[in-house]
Amino acid sequence: MTSDEHEAGAGDRRISPADLHHVRFTRATMLRPGYSDTEVDHFLYRVADELTRLHAEKAALRDRVRTLQSQLDDVPADVAPSDQAVLLLATAQQTADSYVAEAEDFSRQMTSDARAQYEEQLRRARESAGAIIQAAQEAAARMVGGGPAVVSAEPRERTTQELEEQVAYLKAFGQACRTQLRAYLEALLTDVETEWGRADPASLIQAPLRAPAQRAPQGGGGTTALNVAREVPLDDGPGGDAAAGEGGVEVAVRR
Amino acid sequence: MDIPAMRANFSKAAAAGDEAPLYFYSHLFLTHPDTRQLFPLSMAHQRDRLFSALGEVVARVDDLDSLVPILQELGRDHRKFGTVAEHYPAVGASLLATLQHFDDGWNAQLAHDWTAAYQLVAKVMIEAADEAADQPAWWEADVVAHERRTIDIAVLRITPREPFEHRPGQSISLETDIRPKLWRYYSPANARRPDGTLDIHVKARDGGPVSTALVRRVGVGDVLRLGPPMGHLTFDAGSDRDLLLVAGGMGLAPLKAVVDEVARNGPPRRVDLFVGARLEDQFYDRADLQRLEQEHPWLTVTLAVSDDKESALEQGDVGDVVMRHGPWLSRDAYVAGPAVMVEDTVARLVGHGVRRERIRTEVFAPSRPGPSVDGEVTE
Repeated sequence: MTSDEHEAGAGDRRISPADLHHVRFTRATMLRPGYSDTEVDHFLYRVADELTRLHAEKAALRDRVRTLQSQLDDVPADVAPSDQAVLLLATAQQTADSYVAEAEDFSRQMTSDARAQYEEQLRRARESAGAIIQAAQEAAARMVGGGPAVVSAEPRERTTQELEEQVAYLKAFGQACRTQLRAYLEALLTDVETEWGRADPASLIQAPLRAPAQRAPQGGGGTTALNVAREVPLDDGPGGDAAAGEGGVEVAVRR
Repeated sequence: MDIPAMRANFSKAAAAGDEAPLYFYSHLFLTHPDTRQLFPLSMAHQRDRLFSALGEVVARVDDLDSLVPILQELGRDHRKFGTVAEHYPAVGASLLATLQHFDDGWNAQLAHDWTAAYQLVAKVMIEAADEAADQPAWWEADVVAHERRTIDIAVLRITPREPFEHRPGQSISLETDIRPKLWRYYSPANARRPDGTLDIHVKARDGGPVSTALVRRVGVGDVLRLGPPMGHLTFDAGSDRDLLLVAGGMGLAPLKAVVDEVARNGPPRRVDLFVGARLEDQFYDRADLQRLEQEHPWLTVTLAVSDDKESALEQGDVGDVVMRHGPWLSRDAYVAGPAVMVEDTVARLVGHGVRRERIRTEVFAPSRPGPSVDGEVTE
């Protein structure tokens, strides 16, 4: 209210209830042509009441604006989340975490089991390979030297006979191997040259066929699949790299 | 600042275990939803990390000389996560809310002290991050080669697209798009090369999301992100003493980098490298070690197996095998590998008479998120 009076004192003058109370109308002369005193007074009272009511209402509204404003100032820009909200999000996060952890744990178990199995199988394979080699060495030792000193004459004869048989067998086997290997290599070479020739016909004429005798020893390492000549995947076919290198032919490069 | 009161307050939150960081992150994500994308899907490990880092800060809060460098490194390192200065006040507000939530005796003084302390921490981190602003926050690197050496070990060769400088023995953090927001530390196995390539040795940990992806899913042409190099097994270039390098498992990588450094930049000296593994099959880099040994007369490589009776290699724990050779009294020693192996080897070397300050170590722990203050690196 005080500020109101202050405002009223300065600047453009506003009517206060008091103004209306104290207003005096000058009387007109002689014959009373002026207002009726009672009516004017009555009206002035009504105006005063109305103004009082308005001022009170205005003050109340201003107070309300002030409190709301201060409430707004107190609240930080980011409203602090309720504990309930925090808890809700926390639970959701924990659920997600536990799913991820479960998946990781499952994968951990699977891989560690698989690794253990892998190592165990490898170990067993190594052991049995070792045992086979050892048995073979012992057998060889028996065949070559150790036998005769211990056993009697008859077994020795048999042993000698056995040895001869084995030698003969091995010779025959070696011969067979060589023949098969040569056939295989020749087939292979023919294949390679056919493919090569198809890719680069010019080079075929320039490259003379090598004699079979030269080729045979090259296949010395290929001990597997001797009798499947053409069907075998050309994994370690000799000369394959050269052919592929020259003509880009897709033979024998599946390594 | 009333440090004892702050410690008491922090210990109340720490005593709540996982609840406290859970509250913190939930509060942070609710008040600043945009921060959620800076973190991985599963927050379990993240939560451990936050409170151990905070514990570190609280423990050292009255020892600024040791705290500040840690904070600076943290600040620089956080750039790669996409952290910017605006995130710090958000984190501070959630931290205060958390500390308040778990302490019935919370008061204005604590609020004031924690605010001040956090502002200091944030300031140091932000300034360090700003100082590093001339460096990229992270580097993109192309995978140019990927070799599976054993069923669970791969050697990756990567080429950073921007110049990337590391010192031998340091580690770098890696992230792949296959496992977003999960960073793991690896040690490059080479010194700086003219072409900038880095060799990364990765062992797929059982159930490890990043290592398995790097070994089994990442291939040539994929892109990795690298964080700035850090770590503690840094090669001492000022010394010209002969070297003894002892590696267990994947600890080979940083020591191979040391060998590479000597080969490239000298000074020439004798280098003995011992590599230990359980089984002979696990020497995933044997061929290259043999090549190095042939190329460099000053290098001797000894392989030792601890659990492979069939093997013709030296038998026993690598520390034990080292002791069978020697003497090593005049050497600088570098030891990297699993914690048990590192402890064992260091104890033997110290017992042998090698001075402790000449032994540098790096512990390779499975799937640690990053080097701790003690410098742990993912295996």
